[in-house]
Amino acid sequence: MQQLGLEKYAPVFAGYTELRAHENHTVSIGFLKGNNVRNVKSTISGVSARVYQHGSWGFASSADFTDDSIRQVIKAASANAAFLDRKQNKGKQSLPARPIRAEHDYSTAKPRLTQKQLIEFVKQIDQYIAGKYPDLASRYVSLNCLDMEKLLLTSDGSYSYSLNPRSLISISFTMDKGGNPIELYDIFGEQGQFEDVFGDPSDLYPDIDQLYEQLRHKVEGVYAEPGIKDCILDADLGGILAHEAIGHTTEADLVLGGSVAAKFMDKQVASPLVSLVDFAHHALGKACPMPIFVDDEGTEAEDAVIIDQGILRSYLHNKESALHYGVKPTGNARAWSFADEPLIRMRNTAILPGKDSLEAMISSIDDGYYLIRPSNGQADTTSEFMFGVVLGYEIKNGKLGRAIFDTTISGVAFDMLKTVTMVSNEMKWLVSGMCGKKQPMPVGMGGPAIKCRVNIGGR
Amino acid sequence: MKERDILSYTLEKLKAKGMDASCSLDQSTKYEMNVETGKITLIRTVFNNGLSLYAIKDSKSGSYSVNKLDRETIDEAISTVIEIAESSEPDPAHAIAEYQPSGAFSAGSREPDQELMYTRLEAFLDQVRTKYPKIMLENAYFDFTHGTRYIANTNGTDFTTEKGIYRFTSMFSGHDGDQSSSFNYTGYSTQELDRELLAYGSLESLLKQSSEQITTQALSGKFVGDVVITPDCLSDFLGYVFGITIYDGALISGTSVYKDKLGHQVADPRLVIHSRPVSPEVPDGYFITGDGYRAENCTIIDRGILKTFLLTLYGANKTGLKRAVNNGGCYVVEPGDKPLDEIISQIERGILIARYSGNYPSQNGDFSGVAKNSYYIENGKIQYPISETMVSGNLISMLQNIIDISQERVSFGSGIYPWIAFSEVTISGK
Repeated sequence: MQQLGLEKYAPVFAGYTELRAHENHTVSIGFLKGNNVRNVKSTISGVSARVYQHGSWGFASSADFTDDSIRQVIKAASANAAFLDRKQNKGKQSLPARPIRAEHDYSTAKPRLTQKQLIEFVKQIDQYIAGKYPDLASRYVSLNCLDMEKLLLTSDGSYSYSLNPRSLISISFTMDKGGNPIELYDIFGEQGQFEDVFGDPSDLYPDIDQLYEQLRHKVEGVYAEPGIKDCILDADLGGILAHEAIGHTTEADLVLGGSVAAKFMDKQVASPLVSLVDFAHHALGKACPMPIFVDDEGTEAEDAVIIDQGILRSYLHNKESALHYGVKPTGNARAWSFADEPLIRMRNTAILPGKDSLEAMISSIDDGYYLIRPSNGQADTTSEFMFGVVLGYEIKNGKLGRAIFDTTISGVAFDMLKTVTMVSNEMKWLVSGMCGKKQPMPVGMGGPAIKCRVNIGGR
Repeated sequence: MKERDILSYTLEKLKAKGMDASCSLDQSTKYEMNVETGKITLIRTVFNNGLSLYAIKDSKSGSYSVNKLDRETIDEAISTVIEIAESSEPDPAHAIAEYQPSGAFSAGSREPDQELMYTRLEAFLDQVRTKYPKIMLENAYFDFTHGTRYIANTNGTDFTTEKGIYRFTSMFSGHDGDQSSSFNYTGYSTQELDRELLAYGSLESLLKQSSEQITTQALSGKFVGDVVITPDCLSDFLGYVFGITIYDGALISGTSVYKDKLGHQVADPRLVIHSRPVSPEVPDGYFITGDGYRAENCTIIDRGILKTFLLTLYGANKTGLKRAVNNGGCYVVEPGDKPLDEIISQIERGILIARYSGNYPSQNGDFSGVAKNSYYIENGKIQYPISETMVSGNLISMLQNIIDISQERVSFGSGIYPWIAFSEVTISGK
């Protein structure tokens, strides 16, 4: 991709311009009850240009990397911006710039495995499950790998190349309880190409055994009792809370679009125990699950401290929202594919760990729930959120009790976070975060376990 | 190479390697206007291609997709799909569509009326500002997409489809001082722009609702009551029900609670649901199924009886059941015989759910989530908008617990839905 030599097109730029070559390469393999039902690869790439004129944007993209195509894309984006500028005449100022030249290539140095070797890997996991757990009604094992490769040139001086891969294995079990299917899944993996993420299939066997045991508990489980309860949200749920309920409401485009966070800047929105950061690439001395060094507007990415000890301190910005608010862009503009314009997106959003042990947190609750694994989540611009929960346990008199069936928790985040009374000292990242906001986007989300009061759905 | 030459070239190469194969080639152009915070902010033009190859040899199959159509990329794609297929585990259920007579299908315009798009969008923004001054438009996306698809396989099928369609979606919320409603959103598709954007789908009624949902009340306690599901929300619920019961995954795994219910009563006898991808009443339909068959309309639930699964060719071969005549979607739900007002007037206690924000239902149909943009109903009347209210129940049971289906329906261009009232849903507040 770097051979495209995007810099030679700089003389064609008319005003502020981003020129991006972008390729998404995916591998997907799936075994459903031993059947190799999915065996797919795709390579989707192209070039796009986005042009800014006095507050109006024009965008164009093409699948072709030819010289003619790149010039046509720049021309079409410029024409779109000029058309809209004539019609809208917004007269806005130039965008702020924090240019950088950078290269971040996370491709593996190891020899790449063939598709056959990848299939064998997944098949071996499936056979382990089939052999050890014949009482399962169904099982699905899948491998999903995504490599996002980007080359970016901007008219204000940024030049960036990045290859950001992620490799995930998802395992789902179903057990029959009197004609009633009960399901549980978990996802394993992290940032990196397959060869750097997974070693031997047997490395996953302890996790698989634990997943099976958790499903057995769930089969014997109960419906949660609905209502406001003392709950411990384990790290994965804390992560999705940080992302959905707080992160989205502080994306500056949503703040401008009516998010409740517009009225809370520099105000207490959470317990002083809560600090929440959208990390760019490293957190607490370690690389994040989705490290972003340069965003798709060519801004050097930096951490955004959203909540500092309970006080709302920052929104997430692209160049245009930073101009509006008179602050520095934070490097949050990202695009999913070559055909997409950059939007304000989170990178790695997490609540910072506290000082409590998980054991002490559980023992502090007389009647509540320990909620461990989320499914989907959604939050409102009011900060009202809901998360599906597929694994959780009752807490009775400070001890874990029966597992619960699938449920949902909800609340108003900026109210609920004020009920946080304990924060665990352990930080974990949810490896498989995928955000939806017009475009999909891989993200990191994480944190410690938190003790709070939250509304739980049930029967 | 021209499009048909690419298909012929690709299929011949794969056939020469002893493979059964299908191939589709797409060319599309999208023109899109974006609105953020009530203003048009961006115009976007997207040119794209797609070449998808599916190959089978000795019961081993694989798929590969690229979006470039030059000779070098095509040759690499052919080699790659052969490698992928040869790597797979054999499964005799893999197959390509048998020969069908060639066909060409088209719908909609080839080019957008960009001036009219801009005029309609500006008019929409003006109308929202004047008619609904408390509404803040978080975003809106208005696009026209034209796509041509060539589909062929080594059994001799050869289809061409062409479709041009306008699509509009918007997300918005109501605001008054420091108070605001939850966001809501809706969208629709149309082949013509013969009306103002506000006149399509449920857009205007949802804008009106968001204006009055700025002040809400939270319900307290828990009760089992009735729920009226709006057309926007019903499309989500039907998608959930069918997703866990009648598609390949649920039937191959055996987890579907409908696996033995074909020809049996699964819903109230008043419920009739069609899937109509090739119908003038559903302009955003499709002509060819994902596995290469000419799509046909079908009835999924007829007077409460499950009439078909939505199995692909692979799913049918795997389960020994019949392949569906389409891929689902494009749902048209038959209207009932009562006006919505009359249905609501019969409800003693319940809620009207305009948006469901909840977990993806379990395989057994259990669901729980938040009733967003919703209203409390008591003594036959809508009382007030609600917040922080959760609903839980079972989708499979709900289809059997229908109270009434409304006469009124909303057409979204991708489906047509009425309001349906269901009983015995758990509703819980703070």
